[in-house]
Amino acid sequence: MLKLILNRLAFMVVAGLLLLTFLFFLFHAIPGDPARLIAGDSAPETLVESIRQAYGLDQPLVTQYTTYMRRVLQGDFGLSNFSRQPVLQIVGPRLLNTAKLAGWSMLLAMSVSLLLGSLSAMYWDRPLDRGITAFSLAGICTPIFVTGILGIYFFGVHLRWLPIGGMSTWKHYIMPVMTLGLAQAAGFTRMVRACMIDALGRDFITTARSKGVPERTIVFKHGLRNALLPIITFFGLGLGHTLGGAAVAESIFNWPGLGRLMVDSILTRDLPLTQGCIFFFAMVFILVNLMVDLLYRWADPRLAND
Amino acid sequence: MRYYASVAAAAALTASAFIPASVRAQDAKPQYGGELVLTGQLDKTMFPGRNTDAGGMDVYLNACENLVTMAADRTMKPALAKSWSLSDDQKTITFQLNEGIQFHDGTPFNAEAVAFVFNEALAKKFLYVSLLEGLEKVVADSEHQVSFKLSKPSAALIPNLAYRTMCIFSPTAYKAVGEEGLGSKIIGTGPFVVDSYVKGEHVRFKRNENYWQKGKPYLDSIRILFVPDVTTRLAMLESGDVDRAAGVPDFDIPRLSSEENLKVSTIPSLQQNYVVINNLKKPFDDPRVRQALNYAVDKAGIVKSVFAGTGATLSQAPTLTPGVFGFADMREPGKNTIFAYDVEKAKDLLKQAGYEDRNGDKVLENAQGEPLSLKLWTRKTGKGEYQIAQLIQAFLEKIGMKVELTVLESATFSASLSLGPQDAKYDLALLAWTVPTADPDEPMMYMTHTKAWKPAGANRMFFSHPETDRLAELAHAEPDQKKRAEYVRLWMAELLKQAPVIYLPTVNLTEAYRTYVHGAQYMPAGTYDATMAWIDKAAKKEQGISR
Repeated sequence: MLKLILNRLAFMVVAGLLLLTFLFFLFHAIPGDPARLIAGDSAPETLVESIRQAYGLDQPLVTQYTTYMRRVLQGDFGLSNFSRQPVLQIVGPRLLNTAKLAGWSMLLAMSVSLLLGSLSAMYWDRPLDRGITAFSLAGICTPIFVTGILGIYFFGVHLRWLPIGGMSTWKHYIMPVMTLGLAQAAGFTRMVRACMIDALGRDFITTARSKGVPERTIVFKHGLRNALLPIITFFGLGLGHTLGGAAVAESIFNWPGLGRLMVDSILTRDLPLTQGCIFFFAMVFILVNLMVDLLYRWADPRLAND
Repeated sequence: MRYYASVAAAAALTASAFIPASVRAQDAKPQYGGELVLTGQLDKTMFPGRNTDAGGMDVYLNACENLVTMAADRTMKPALAKSWSLSDDQKTITFQLNEGIQFHDGTPFNAEAVAFVFNEALAKKFLYVSLLEGLEKVVADSEHQVSFKLSKPSAALIPNLAYRTMCIFSPTAYKAVGEEGLGSKIIGTGPFVVDSYVKGEHVRFKRNENYWQKGKPYLDSIRILFVPDVTTRLAMLESGDVDRAAGVPDFDIPRLSSEENLKVSTIPSLQQNYVVINNLKKPFDDPRVRQALNYAVDKAGIVKSVFAGTGATLSQAPTLTPGVFGFADMREPGKNTIFAYDVEKAKDLLKQAGYEDRNGDKVLENAQGEPLSLKLWTRKTGKGEYQIAQLIQAFLEKIGMKVELTVLESATFSASLSLGPQDAKYDLALLAWTVPTADPDEPMMYMTHTKAWKPAGANRMFFSHPETDRLAELAHAEPDQKKRAEYVRLWMAELLKQAPVIYLPTVNLTEAYRTYVHGAQYMPAGTYDATMAWIDKAAKKEQGISR
């Protein structure tokens, strides 16, 4: 187990450095001049040139790259081209904000989908199952920006029950978490249902039924436990989607998260900031994958012995 | 008292186009207290020398003031400077400063501070240096007298000093924390002091208790929330989460106008869309072809379909908009805009230039049989730019040109349009230009002058005409306002003959605010000055807003 964790952490470091290298050269391959964007469209060339010098953008590419990587290895991700604040200082709080949004949304999505998916499988092909299926299909088909904006107009503008933008009180969490969480739950529910139907059709379930084990125990203890492996994988992948969806939800609900920051930084060619954002997103992904692997071993002890 | 003066002037001139639309009725007595919550956008730093965006100005103008200010009627009013005079050779401008003013950090505001800020701007090339053209150095003559030394006379300098980005920040703070430090906490002499700032979230200003204008400001605090999404911004305004939102989409105006607790106002901005014509490429080196391009575009149609009829105003003069010094109505009698839509005239001009449909394929060819085809570039940002470009493509195809429309991502677009004459690849490109200081100097010297060819200036057309250059230089140096205005008029008349670009409508700015907000000003440059605003608390309560 320890070996697995250490392996993965080593992988993380290598992957992170490769990623930064890739991003660095990718960014310089696409057109767009950061100094020009800072100075503004109509700025004179002398001004643009002085910005290039001040930010080290006039150095040869290889020099820029080695300087940057050396700093990164010392834990310094540089200054944002636009706000001139250290990247870590900007990214840190934003990452935490996104984690809060994505975390609560995932929790909601997992609870709702496990319950609805199991119920759906239990009442397979009956009205309850059809109702849940309709809900989840509608959820899969409706993009977040539609549900989000409808929510804003209904609960925020008309009823004035909930605040619209920001994240200062618990009330600010309700709409973004519901929007993102329920959208995720819709997809998860379909998956949980399929896995549960499969698990509930196995021989040991029939045996349990014939022995007179209560249906609830059969479904939630024996069925769910056996359906869990593919579900964990799906949840792990789902978290990736949630982080992606968070960027959209962050824009709609004015949530000061990492997704929004990343999109803005790409549009303004703020290389140090973009690199910082993508790097930390990637690290979160790798960590989540590690967690999924560890959960696997918990759900299926046979894997731990391999 | 300068704000009172400007508000009074505005009230007296209600019919004039110069009026900031949101100068509210002055029938009630200002009330003290309360917090004004606004939506805004601060993409860059808060340091004025490195952010000249309207969104940036909206933030730092609360804390940082200028030597002079421009009133609604375009006259210059004293601010930190109480008076000024021009030397006989017109190369020295001397300002007398108000006394007893302190920066937020407690250090005194004096001639040293003013000299430091502008000398630093020249040395470190702050983003506004192009507006200080001709300024050699600034010298503190005494504690409260400061002189601006010019290499040649410049009539534009004083109006430019009113541009909000040229505000005076504390040199002591600057030396201690640098641009980066002031970038998250600007320290000036203004009526509000930065209280807290979270990048991408909000900035909060609290009342400056030691403000030099006694009894001001009225508000306890101003909070600006950064909300990039316009739908969210409007929803927050409608629900009462914020008191004011700008950038209202044209198609939302009727709906918001019908809400009794909201007021919507639209003002013409200083921003005009235009199509860059690469004057170096054939056949666009021929003024007749450039004029034909202008006549072929239905400007009124663009206003109707892209801007819902209300989001833009037909231009009355090339480049200059009402409110800019020297602006004059340059339309032909009876026409609604310059180069009013006239397909026949366009075809006729092209025929004179040697282009007509010679083989019946509905495409114009020159004598050698080469078709007239061109590339039009656009980006998908900016108010309706992509839709305008599509319409222009259709209009030009209608008179027999082949038009290839290319959409570029905004950063790529910006880079491709910043290249010099040898490297520039576009025939036509849709852009917008602004006259930020409401003075014609920048368009004359920096956007159309031969010396301003990209990459040195902003002349992307590579337009060069001795007469416009000459008139621009005369206007640049002329201190007599009447003569200067005449040079500006002649310059505009010459532009109409030369047609260096395709002139398009002027974009309007629309804001919406809660009816209990009074005393704020929305300026044509797009900045919003709420430093002297106040809130009618009873009305706010009536609307059920308790924050």
